Amino acid sequence: MNVGRPIMAAAGFKPAGLALVLTLTAIQAFGQSAYQPPKLPWGDPDIQGIWPGNMGVPMQRPATFGERTTLTEEEFAKKQEQAKKQAQADAESTAASDTKVGIGPPSYWNERGKPTRQASLIVDPPDGRLPALTPEAEKYRKEARGGKGMPGEWRGKADSWEDLNIYYRCISRGLLGSVIPVVYNNGNQILQVPGYVVFRNEMIHESRVIPLDGRPHVGPDIRMYLGDSRGHWEGNTLVVETTNFTDKDAIGSNGAGYPGDPGYHSGQLKVIERFTRTSAKTIEYRATVDDPKTWTRPWTMLIELEKNDEYQMIEYACHEGNYAMTDILSGARAAEPGAKVLP
Amino acid sequence: MLVRYRTFALLLLSVSFLYGQNTAYKAPRMPDGHPNLNGIYQAVNTANWNLQDHPASAGPMWELGAIGAVPAGKGIVEGNEIPYKPEALAKKKENFKNRRTDDPEAKCYMPGIPRANYMPYPFQIVQTAKDILFVYEYASSNRLVNMGKPMEAPSDTWMGTNNGRWEGDTLVIDVTGLNGLAWFDRAGNFGTDKLHIVERFTRTSPDHLTYTATIEDPSVYTKPWTITMPLYRRVEKDAQLLEFKCVEFAEELLYGKYKKTGGQK
Repeated sequence: MNVGRPIMAAAGFKPAGLALVLTLTAIQAFGQSAYQPPKLPWGDPDIQGIWPGNMGVPMQRPATFGERTTLTEEEFAKKQEQAKKQAQADAESTAASDTKVGIGPPSYWNERGKPTRQASLIVDPPDGRLPALTPEAEKYRKEARGGKGMPGEWRGKADSWEDLNIYYRCISRGLLGSVIPVVYNNGNQILQVPGYVVFRNEMIHESRVIPLDGRPHVGPDIRMYLGDSRGHWEGNTLVVETTNFTDKDAIGSNGAGYPGDPGYHSGQLKVIERFTRTSAKTIEYRATVDDPKTWTRPWTMLIELEKNDEYQMIEYACHEGNYAMTDILSGARAAEPGAKVLP
Repeated sequence: MLVRYRTFALLLLSVSFLYGQNTAYKAPRMPDGHPNLNGIYQAVNTANWNLQDHPASAGPMWELGAIGAVPAGKGIVEGNEIPYKPEALAKKKENFKNRRTDDPEAKCYMPGIPRANYMPYPFQIVQTAKDILFVYEYASSNRLVNMGKPMEAPSDTWMGTNNGRWEGDTLVIDVTGLNGLAWFDRAGNFGTDKLHIVERFTRTSPDHLTYTATIEDPSVYTKPWTITMPLYRRVEKDAQLLEFKCVEFAEELLYGKYKKTGGQK
C-alpha cells in the first residue's frame, strides 16, 4: 500500500486510491491478506513452493507473558544475541573437551531458525497455552496401558517399542507434528494440480494429497495417522478440514523441541488448517485443534512459513535407519540383572 | 512361417511400445502442452511376487495356508531372463531362501525403484507445471521428479534421485543415486548402489499408462534389461490413497528378540 499510494496520487486518482485503502483495511479487518497471490491457469491461488518451518518459537507461552503475543524490543534483542552465540557454537564441528557426551547429532546439523517476535505457536486461548484437559482425558492418560501412561520420551527404560512414542518408532509425527518445526529437516512443500493440493513434509516423508472437489470424508471405520483431509478455497485462503484420525498419535510429541505435554488426542479430533499467502515469501499457517473428548476448548496454532526455493528436501528414511530402536531395546535388556548380551 | 510371423509381430509390438504409439490415442493436455498423467494408478499383475515367469507355489509361511500362496504369473521382463553375473545369481538365490525375513518389504522399508510402481497398492501421479510428484500408498513413500535442470544425486537414497524429461508424449525418468538396498520383488531379484534405471511412462488410453524401465548395473548384470507392464487407473468414484504405514506391522519381526518378554509372540 505504501508503494501504491504515490502512484495513485500521481495518476490523479486520489478518491479511488482512498477507496482502495479503505477496502484493503476492511479486508484486513476480516483477517484476509491484502496481498494478491498469483493465480494458477485454472484459477486457484498459487501457494506452491518449499516453505520450511522456522524453529525457535515455543509451542506454549511462558505464563509470565499473560496475553502478550509478541516479545518486547528488549526480549527480542536478547533472543537475537542468543541466536548469534548459538550460531557460533553450531559452527564448531568438533566438541570442546569439557562437553558432556550425548546421543544427539553434531550441532551443525541443527536448524535453529530466524528469531522472530512471536511469543508462542499457540495463539488461542489468548494466554497462548494449551487448554485444560477434560476429566475423561485425564483419566484416560493416567490409566493408559495398565497405569503406565501414554508412551513418551525415552527415559532409559523400555520393555518394548510400545514404550516409545511414534516419533521414536518412525511411524509418523501426525498431521500437526509434521508441520511443527523441530531440530532439523523442517522442509514443507506445496504442490498444486487441478482438484488437488499436496502438502509434503520432509521429516518421515509424508505427502498428504488433499482433494478439493467437495467429496465426502471416508467412512468412520477408516482411521489414519494423518487423517482424511478435504480442502476448499475461501477467497485466497486454502481451508483444509481433517477427520478420521487414529487415537495413537500426539500433537507435538516430536521428541525434540516441545517437551512436556505430549498432546495425545482422541479419534474425535478435527483439525481445520488455513493456508494464507500473505506475501510472495510468506504463508500464514493456522491450525485449529478441536477434540472435545480431550481438551475443554478448541485451540489454535499459528506457524509462519517462509518460502525458500533453495531448500533441498532430502529423503528422510527414518524407519530404515532406526538403529536407535535396536540400541535402546537391546541396551535395556543388557542392563537387566543377569542379562546375557543379545547379538 | 508361423515362427517368422510371430517374430515380426513381436518386433512390431516392441517398436510401438518403445515409441508409445501403439494406439492412435492422444492424451489430454496440461496447460503447458504436455500429456496429462495426473491420476491414481495401480499395477494388476504378479510382478511384486516375481518379475519372471512363475508357476503358482506355496508362500514363505505355511501358517498362512493358501492366503500366503504365490499366484502364477507371466513375467514382465522382456525375454524373461535377467542377465545376472554368476555370483549375483547366487546372491539372488540366497535372497529367495531368506525372503521371509530379508525382503525389505517384510520390514516395511521403502520399496525403491522400480518396485514402488508395481506393489499391490495404488499410487498417485501429481503432475504440476514444474515438477512431478509420485505418491505411493505403501509406507508413505514418495519421490519428486525434477523436471528442471538435471541434478546430481546429493546422496544415495531408497527412492533415488529422479531427473525427468519429455520425449514426445512419453515421460522419461532417469533414476540414479539408489542405495541398492531395496529388492525388485519377493523372489529376491536385486540391484546395487550402481543401479541406473530409465523409466518411461506413456498414457496409452484414458485409463492406462504403459510403463517400461531399463535397468542397468554393471556390477551385477552382464547387460541392461527391460521390464514392461500396463498401469491401470483406479476408476472408481472418489478413489483416493489411504494410509499404509506398516512400521507397526514389522516391529515384532524386527525387534521382537529385544522385547522384555523375549522372542516372538
